[in-house]
Amino acid sequence: MGSRWLSCKIVLGSLALALAQPLFAGQTQHCAIDDGGHKLCLSSPAQRIATLSPGATELTFAAGAGAKVVAGVNHSDYPPEALTLPLVGNHTKIDLEALLALKPDLVVTWVTGNPPAQMDMLQALGLPLFAIEPRTFEGVSDVIERLSILTGTQQAGFAEAERFRMGIAAIAEQYRDAEPISVFYQVWETPLMTVNNQHLIGKVLQLCGGVNVFADMPRLVPRISTEVVLEADPHVILTGSVDGSADNQLDHWKKYSKMSAVANNNLFFVPASPISRPTPRLLEASRDICQKLDIARAR
Amino acid sequence: MMRSLLGLGLIALLAVLVALAIGSVNIAPAELWAVVQGEGSSLHRTLVLELRLPRTLAAFATGGLLAVAGALMQVLLRNPLADPYVLGLSGGAAVGALLAMLGGLGAVLISGSAFAGAMLAMVLVFGLAHGTGSWTASRLLLTGVVVAAGWGAVITLMLALTPSYKLPGMLYWLMGDVSYARTPWPALLVLLLAIAVVMPLARNLNVLARGPMQAAALGVSVRPLEWTIYLLASLLTATAVTTAGSIGFVGLIVPHMLRLVLGNDQRIILPASALAGGTLLVLADTLARTVIAPEQLPVGVITALLGVPTFLYLLHRSR
Repeated sequence: MGSRWLSCKIVLGSLALALAQPLFAGQTQHCAIDDGGHKLCLSSPAQRIATLSPGATELTFAAGAGAKVVAGVNHSDYPPEALTLPLVGNHTKIDLEALLALKPDLVVTWVTGNPPAQMDMLQALGLPLFAIEPRTFEGVSDVIERLSILTGTQQAGFAEAERFRMGIAAIAEQYRDAEPISVFYQVWETPLMTVNNQHLIGKVLQLCGGVNVFADMPRLVPRISTEVVLEADPHVILTGSVDGSADNQLDHWKKYSKMSAVANNNLFFVPASPISRPTPRLLEASRDICQKLDIARAR
Repeated sequence: MMRSLLGLGLIALLAVLVALAIGSVNIAPAELWAVVQGEGSSLHRTLVLELRLPRTLAAFATGGLLAVAGALMQVLLRNPLADPYVLGLSGGAAVGALLAMLGGLGAVLISGSAFAGAMLAMVLVFGLAHGTGSWTASRLLLTGVVVAAGWGAVITLMLALTPSYKLPGMLYWLMGDVSYARTPWPALLVLLLAIAVVMPLARNLNVLARGPMQAAALGVSVRPLEWTIYLLASLLTATAVTTAGSIGFVGLIVPHMLRLVLGNDQRIILPASALAGGTLLVLADTLARTVIAPEQLPVGVITALLGVPTFLYLLHRSR
């Protein structure tokens, strides 16, 4: 009698446990799919996050998990709090020992920017990797949301993602009927490089009613000749400036005084890091570029 | 003799015309003719006169400088593998240029710094090879090769420590590219002066090529001649590298090609090297900027792709 009661209790108990398991798991498993297509599930929110690119650092802070970031790489310089992070090398050459010593429970990597061999090694060592690389505005919002799920900061993350989404939508609305204006975006002076419209910079130009003269180039960041720029004769030439350094300048265009961008003095600098990283700062960078194009339209 | 030089000159002229006619933007022959006559649209004038012409002349001068420097080095070191860079000049120039780029300096200072680096490399190798003992070709070669390896290590170190956004510019400089040329005139002038200086020495160089003992026995003052060649070849190389970065291959292969065809007489080989080296680089640069236009290829890829089969064919035929 007693033993039957006992076994019954065990059965009921294990039944309750079995029923509770998925429910329980559903509440605490934190799952997200990364930009490489791999699903990552954490049993509890990440507490020690290593970020292996400047963009990854910035996005993790944007997801509301800045306080949990324990490592960055060279040039992980935004937001300002990130400047005090311990660095684990360059995004192309990670100091694996330094990284492991920081005991991260989540490593945010860069799909095409980090060396695959090192990433494989981290994977083999059992570190949870989450590879990101937003290619669109929605991709930026989306990756912030997914990061916030892994770090348990959904409230802040989803709010920031929505702020970015709304901000971009507002610009798109404002410039929907803007007069199209042709633009050349100079990525680098020597060798002369630009972007096509698959690149986020190209998408920003589009957003502002700019017509990228190299929109349809097959490669994301093609190296091009001066000749074709002169032939395209853009109304505006833009470039990203890095700390006012002299190695990416626009002065070399000024000798072609018949170019319409030069004749109308439409050579503009924008800060390089906000425009070249797929982060919420693209919003300010977009507003900045839209304003520059407005100035050019008025001239 | 003169006939072959005349022939090479004609080919060179043809190459220059082709280079002026072809680019990422199509310009019809009639329009090109209009530009030559001082007419034509302002876009076409800019393209031909401000972009293609200086670039073509710079390519010609650079190719000529490298080939003559290579020919001189091969005589000086009596080693068929010698090229303008074998003694580490390009390494010194590269370290100079990369330092300037790392410091965020502008194009003019990058060129200046490259030239200073090349000169430093030259003095360094010369001083070290001189040492306390005698000054022999093999000692010079060994010193140069070791110093070149040292420069190579410094370059790798600098690339490793450089912020990634500056890397494309640096790597393209290291590969060499005529688009760096700001003006062709210094390079052309140095090339002409060098030919003027070296031609009277050519007969003695023929003797030196047979070995220093024999040259001395025949009344050539070997030491001063060797110093002159070393200095001259270094200046030519430094000018070439300063104009267009370290473009490989031209200096090694062009003199050999010409020897296979014209025989080993420096009186012919040296001016022929200037013409053929210039032509090769002009053609290679024209292809580099048009093959996948409007995208651009590094010119070093094309010089090798053009030069390797030509050289192998000549070598095969000569046996």
